[in-house]
Amino acid sequence: MPLFSFVIRRLLQMIPTVIFILIVTFVLVRMLPGDPASAMLGDRARDADVNRINHELGLDRPLIVQFFYFAERIATGDLGNSIGLKVSVLSLIMDRLPVTLMLTALSAVIALALAVPLAFVAAFKREKLADSVIRGTFQVGLSMPVFYVGIILLTVFAAQLKLFPVGGYGTTLPDKLYHLFLPALTLALSFSAVLMRNLRASIINVMNAEYVDFATAKGLKSRVILLRHILRNALISTVTLFGLQIGTLFGGAVITETVFAVPGAGRLLIDSIYGRDYPVLQGLTISLAILVSLTFLLTDIIQAWLDPRIAR
Amino acid sequence: MKNLITAAFAATLLLGTSLSASALERGGTLTYARYADSLFLDPVLNDANVDIWILSNLYDTLLLPTDDGKGVQPGLASDYKLADDGKSVALTLRDGIKFSDGSPITAADVAWSLKRAARKDNGIWGFMIESIDDVTVDGDNKVTVKLKHPDPAILAALTVFNTGIMPQKAFEASAGATEAEKAKSFAEHPIGSGPFVLKSWDRGSSMKLVRNEHYWAKGEDGKALPYLDGINFELIPDDATRILKLSSGELDGAEFIPYSRVAELKSAANLDMQLYPSTRVQYLTLNVRPQIGGKDNPLANPKVRQAMNYALNKQAIVQIVTHGVGTPQTSYMSTATPMHTGDKPLYPYDIAKAKALMKEAGFENGFSTSLLVLAGNQDQLGISTAAQQMWSQIGIKLELQQVDNPTLTKQYREGTFMMRNAAWTDDIADPSEITSYFVYSKTIDALHSGWKNEEADALFEASQKEIDPKKRAEQYAKMQEIYNTSGPTVPLFETPYPVALNKKVHGFLQIPLGNNIFSKTWKDK
Repeated sequence: MPLFSFVIRRLLQMIPTVIFILIVTFVLVRMLPGDPASAMLGDRARDADVNRINHELGLDRPLIVQFFYFAERIATGDLGNSIGLKVSVLSLIMDRLPVTLMLTALSAVIALALAVPLAFVAAFKREKLADSVIRGTFQVGLSMPVFYVGIILLTVFAAQLKLFPVGGYGTTLPDKLYHLFLPALTLALSFSAVLMRNLRASIINVMNAEYVDFATAKGLKSRVILLRHILRNALISTVTLFGLQIGTLFGGAVITETVFAVPGAGRLLIDSIYGRDYPVLQGLTISLAILVSLTFLLTDIIQAWLDPRIAR
Repeated sequence: MKNLITAAFAATLLLGTSLSASALERGGTLTYARYADSLFLDPVLNDANVDIWILSNLYDTLLLPTDDGKGVQPGLASDYKLADDGKSVALTLRDGIKFSDGSPITAADVAWSLKRAARKDNGIWGFMIESIDDVTVDGDNKVTVKLKHPDPAILAALTVFNTGIMPQKAFEASAGATEAEKAKSFAEHPIGSGPFVLKSWDRGSSMKLVRNEHYWAKGEDGKALPYLDGINFELIPDDATRILKLSSGELDGAEFIPYSRVAELKSAANLDMQLYPSTRVQYLTLNVRPQIGGKDNPLANPKVRQAMNYALNKQAIVQIVTHGVGTPQTSYMSTATPMHTGDKPLYPYDIAKAKALMKEAGFENGFSTSLLVLAGNQDQLGISTAAQQMWSQIGIKLELQQVDNPTLTKQYREGTFMMRNAAWTDDIADPSEITSYFVYSKTIDALHSGWKNEEADALFEASQKEIDPKKRAEQYAKMQEIYNTSGPTVPLFETPYPVALNKKVHGFLQIPLGNNIFSKTWKDK
C-alpha cells in the first residue's frame, strides 16, 4: 500500500503548513496600516468612537494575548464574527466559498476540455497551419487581461446575443452553472492557454521517446499508444502545472467575480482587506490555504497514480 | 443660478407628478442595482452610506425630509411644535400607525427609540441629537422631546435615519445576551414602519424588500403606499456590468453611473438618465500645521493656500473628471445645504494672482509636497493628475501617493498627511453637520487639518443654540466667509447623484441627502 502511506504522510505534512499559515496570516493582517474601526467609520470617525470600537474588539490588548485568544478559538472551530458585516465568519465562508469553488472547478473543466484535445492536434500537426492557428489563438487569450475578456464576453454573448445572463448568480444548480458559464470561460481562456502549451510540448517529447517507438514496433493499436503511453506520460508535468495554477485561478476569480457580479469568496476577500476585517481575512486565508494544500495533495496523488515511482 | 436650479427641480417634480397622475399603475417588483451591499441595518449602530441611504425604506421617522432635502414634513408624527423657548418639541403621533408586524406604534416605543439613539457611546451618530435630555410620554399618542439647550436643528434631526422608530418589545425579545447582540439579531430581520419590509438578504448578492402592508401614507389613488409590491436590490460592483445589465433590460434602475457614461445613457432610447441634486462636494484637504514630521510646512501659510486655489482651473477639472456633470463649488457646503451662501465659484482661475501670492508668501520658487489618492478611484486620480500639472505652473512639485482607504484614514487621523482627496455628503437638512466637521476645531480638528479659527469656533457654538433663523443664517454667512477665504481646503466641485432608470419606471427619487425614496415609485406593466 505505498499510495495509502504516501497520502497519510502528505496529510501529516499539512499540519505544520497550516500552523505556519495561521501565524503568518495573523501577523500580516495586523501589519497593514490602519485599523478596523477607522476603516469602518471612515473619514468622520471621532477619536472616542475609534477607541471605543477597538476596545470592544479587543484590539487594544497586547498582540500576543490577541493571538492566543485567536488560536484558542480556531482550535474549537470558531472563526469569530465579521467586524463589518456582524455575522459569523464561518457562515460567510460557507456561503461564499462554494461559489468560488464551483467557478474555479467549472473553469478548470472548460480549460481541460479546450486544452487536451487541442494540444494533441497541435502536437500531431506540429509546425503546420493547425498548430500555428491553435497556438496563436491561445496566445491572444493568454495576453488579454481577465477583466477585459470578461467585459467582451459579457457585451457580446450576454448583452447583445442574449445567450447568457449579464452577471449574477442563480438559485438552482443548473441555473447557477448557466450563470457561471461566462465567468468560468473567462478564467478558462488564459488557464487553458498555459495548459495547452505545456501539454503540447510534453506530447512532442513523449512521442520521441524510445518506448513509444517500441510500442509502435510491437504493433500496438494507435489508440492504445495514444492513451496508455503518450497521454499518461505527457500528463505528469501538466498535472503538476495544473495544481500550481489553481492558486492563480483563485486570484483570477477575484476579478472575474467583480466583473460578473458573482457573490464569491474573491470579492469577500477584497472587501475584508479594504475593511481591515481581521476575522474574515484570517478565516478566508486559512480556508484558501487549506484548499490549496489539498489541491497539491490531490495533484501528488494523481501523479503517483500516473507514475507509481513518485509514491515510493 | 441657485434659483434656476430650484425652479428646474420644482418643474421636474411637477412634471413627474402630473405624468404619474395620468397613468399610475400599482404592483410589480423593481429590480435596482447597487454598487455595494449594506452592512448593518440598525438605524443607530450603522456607520456607512450603504446602510443610511436605504434605511428610510425600512424604518420610518417622526418627521421626514422634504423632497428638496432642505425642509421638514410630518412623518409618523402628524403634528409637531417647537416650544417658544426652543427647549422642547411636542409631537403627536398619527392615529392607528403600526409596525410591519402589525403591532401598534406606541408613544413608549418612540420615547425608547429616541433615547436609545441619543445615548452617549451608542453608535457614531449621537452628536446630531446630543441636545436631547429626555423624551417623555404624555398620553397615548403624545411625546415631548426635552432638550438640554435650544437646538435649531432638532426638527431636521428627527428626520435623520438614526431617529428611526423601532419596536421596543420586539427588540428586547431578540436573541442575544447584550444589547449589541440583540441589535445584531434584530437587524437580520428588522421590524420598522417604513414603506418596505426586508424579506430576504443574500449578503453580497441581493436583498429583497416587500411592501409593508401597514404603512400609513396614502398614494394619489387614495390607497396605501407603496405602489410597488417589492424591490430587489442586486449587488453589481462593476460599473460596466451594471450598465450592460440595465441596457439589456435585466434591471429597472442602477445607481452610481460613472460620469463618463452619463451623456451616452441620456441618449439611450429605453433609459431615463437622472441627475438628482445632491449635497455632495468634492475637495482637497490640506494639513495646515506649522510643522509636519519636524519639517516646516508651506501649507500653513494662508497665502500659499490661496495661491493653490487660484492656480487650479476648477472648470477644467469639472470637464476632465465629471464630463461637465458637476459645477464648481461656491462655498465649502453644497448649494443644496440650507443656509448656503455664495453665488459665484470660489477662486476663479488666475495664474498671475497665484504667482504673486506665492511670491508674497516667500515661495517664489515653489516647494515639494504630496497628495493622498485613494487607489483605484478614477475621480481622485483625475483630479490629482490635473492638480499636479496645474500646480507645477507655480512651482509646486506634487507627489501623488496612491493608498487604500484604511492607510489613508490612518495618516489623516494622525495628522501626518500633507494633502488628501475627499468628498462629503450631508445626512441632515442643516448646515451644522458639515460645519462641525469642516470648520469647528473641536470635532475632528477641522477635517484633521489642524486649522483653528477662534471666531469661527465661537460662531459655531453660538449658532448651535440660536433659534432665530435670521440670526443663525447671518452666523453661517460669516462662518462661510471666514472658511472660504482662509480655510484648509481646496474646494473643487459639487456633483448630482447619477441614477439611470428604465423608462418604465416613474416616481423614484434620491433626495440631496442621498436617501433613496421608493415609496412613490411605480412602473408600467
